[in-house]
Amino acid sequence: MPRTTTVESSGCPSLRALTFDILGLIKVVEAKGEQKEAPKVVEKWGEPDASRCVLAASLVDREFDPLLGVARKSGKIEVLSPVNGDVRASISIESQNHPGSADNSIVGLHLFKGERLGSSSRSCNLLTCTSKGQANMTYVKMSESLEDSGGESTQTTWNVCGSGSILCCKVDADESYALFGGKGVEVNIWDLSQCAKVWSAKSPAKNSLGIFTPTWFTSATFLCKDDHRKFVAGTNSHQVRLYDISAQRRPVVSFDFRETPIKAVAEDEDGHTIYIGNGSGDLASFDIRTGKLLGSFLGKCSGSIRSIVKHPELPVIASCGLDSYLRIWDVKSRQLLSAVFLKQHLNSVVFDSKFSTREAQVPPQQQDTDETLQTEEEEEKTVKRKKASKEHSGSKKLKTKKKSIRSKGDSNDIA
Amino acid sequence: MGRKRNLSEDGGGEDEEERPMKERRVKEKQEVRESMRPSMIKNKEKRAAVHAKLKQQKKVEKRKKVKAREAAEKKALELGEEPPPKMVPRTIENTRESDETVCLPDDEELFAGNDVDEFSAVLKNERSPKILITTSRYNSTRGPAFISDLISVIPNAHYYKRGTYDLKKIVQYANEKEFTSVIVVHTNRREPDALLVIGLPDGPTAHFKLSKLMLRKDIKNHGKPTSHKPELVLTNFTTRLGHRVGRMIQSLFPQDPEFRGRRVVTFHNQRDFIFFRHHRYIFETKESKQKESKGKKSKDEKNPQERTIARLQECGPRFTLKLISLQHGTFDTKGGEYEWVHKPEMDTSRRRFFL
Repeated sequence: MPRTTTVESSGCPSLRALTFDILGLIKVVEAKGEQKEAPKVVEKWGEPDASRCVLAASLVDREFDPLLGVARKSGKIEVLSPVNGDVRASISIESQNHPGSADNSIVGLHLFKGERLGSSSRSCNLLTCTSKGQANMTYVKMSESLEDSGGESTQTTWNVCGSGSILCCKVDADESYALFGGKGVEVNIWDLSQCAKVWSAKSPAKNSLGIFTPTWFTSATFLCKDDHRKFVAGTNSHQVRLYDISAQRRPVVSFDFRETPIKAVAEDEDGHTIYIGNGSGDLASFDIRTGKLLGSFLGKCSGSIRSIVKHPELPVIASCGLDSYLRIWDVKSRQLLSAVFLKQHLNSVVFDSKFSTREAQVPPQQQDTDETLQTEEEEEKTVKRKKASKEHSGSKKLKTKKKSIRSKGDSNDIA
Repeated sequence: MGRKRNLSEDGGGEDEEERPMKERRVKEKQEVRESMRPSMIKNKEKRAAVHAKLKQQKKVEKRKKVKAREAAEKKALELGEEPPPKMVPRTIENTRESDETVCLPDDEELFAGNDVDEFSAVLKNERSPKILITTSRYNSTRGPAFISDLISVIPNAHYYKRGTYDLKKIVQYANEKEFTSVIVVHTNRREPDALLVIGLPDGPTAHFKLSKLMLRKDIKNHGKPTSHKPELVLTNFTTRLGHRVGRMIQSLFPQDPEFRGRRVVTFHNQRDFIFFRHHRYIFETKESKQKESKGKKSKDEKNPQERTIARLQECGPRFTLKLISLQHGTFDTKGGEYEWVHKPEMDTSRRRFFL
């Protein structure tokens, strides 16, 4: 008999995630933690169109003026507002030979948070990388209206690799280094301020049978926030490797995970836990210091995992992929908190962690009405529960909550 | 067990009067006997007798119920009222676990996705399907026979010897020759046991388990199919995954059936098993040999002497498919990404289906 999960899931905490799919739709999934509701699709931006297929996405997650960068299949890069989905700027990266063709599509995109080249709220910097290895730093000026956008941008382009194709591109937390790797390309680290190669990996030695596995990196991530020297890479030959720039050019730790290629790697803030997703939908967490499996995430996930993200504050990760589900997992218990069906193959997911504080800044009048409505609803619920169930403690708790909310509302009224 | 309980109850009720006590005891005994199961009796002969009696009782009750229902229906018909609603048996299919991935007819995203998926070129008639059929490395007896049957079913299908080529090389070759799909018949112990359907140029790869294969020559009274383009019937492909598999199967056949051929190919999905059947149908006008009483009734509507009936003749082969995995991109077992793989942890219920 298959094992069925019996552990009661604690419900999804309040969060907001944005998913990007192959039809170019951006779907916003929100969960309200207090009401123990399942997460729902709140908003949907864009029209279904295959040429607008999202290849990479990056979010600048901050309280004031967050930005969302989206790279489309057509070679366009859009900078959106993750609050309401308005397009702030749209540019197309000029590649030397054939822009936006299938064999030179964008594989990586990073939107810079920090101040660089005098960026302000009206402008931003972004790094893109195409599969042929053309890295591109672009300075984009944003404007309120769509018409005159895209004209003012400065670009610096350089080549990351001579041959092969780039499959992964990541920028470290300080945003001064970037790593590139792919099929036939060993992992390179580049200093972004000088656009110069700092370090490159060396392929591991032949195995005991004298067989050399060709280089094929499929995913990579920097291990911790304050250190750009350690990073983890996943290969097509289902191997996960830890590299340390300061130590050696060959991997420090490497281990195998299942039988299908590693498709997504994400790091935890603690600096040693990593999450690995592979081509047949297995998701597991590893302790990278020892290379030991901490545990697998079981949850009927049947399709390849394309993207994993860790929530910056909550102990929660989200995964998505070809089975078109967005799944939210608890990190500690490794239980599936919820799964949202989003209809298309998903390419990536990001967490918008600051949305709750932003919501709090909404003009108080609107909120007042909302809250009063909510309290009324809750009152009804409590009455019903009292009648139905014997659990007085639960209803009491609710009652106190209701009171507190009401008092808050009153204070707001006075204010 | 039952007796013991009786005894204890006797002990409890001693204080009360004698007469009503006796009556009550008798009643209680009857109740106990009814609630007692025959399996509780230890004596075999007695147990068998009680069981037989019970069974007979149940049978009689059931017959009564059916008769009452029929009578009610008849009465309602005579009075010209609505007949009582017919009971629908509960089956595993109609008590299926609700699935959010079931395709809805008003889903815009689904249609937008359909327009751009790998099969749309074939299904929109921009490309005509051209199928390459090959086998696993070793192939004998039932394998070639099955392939010759398949070739007669699928128009524009070509058999190529496998030789010692890698499947990836074959896919590459087929791509260059502008085939739209590759079908690989895998045989094990001289019996075809798996079917691999690869969409080209970048379509998905479906791996099916093949079972219950019956070749044309083994089917009694089988017909010989003509070379007309067949009609295709796909039933019960409800979920997103099922829809995709259905479209994949659809892309193997030409999209302009020749109805003159009266040839129909059916892929019927039931509980995740896809049943393949191949028939020829005919409409015949037949003189009815109905009884007069029935004929009178239908006289008002139409002439009872001429009725058209459809007759089916099976052409074969006959087999059952079960999806094992659906892989994104062409065949690549090592580096492939799966869209769907069956995992044991997904079997949480008998009433959960994926297609």
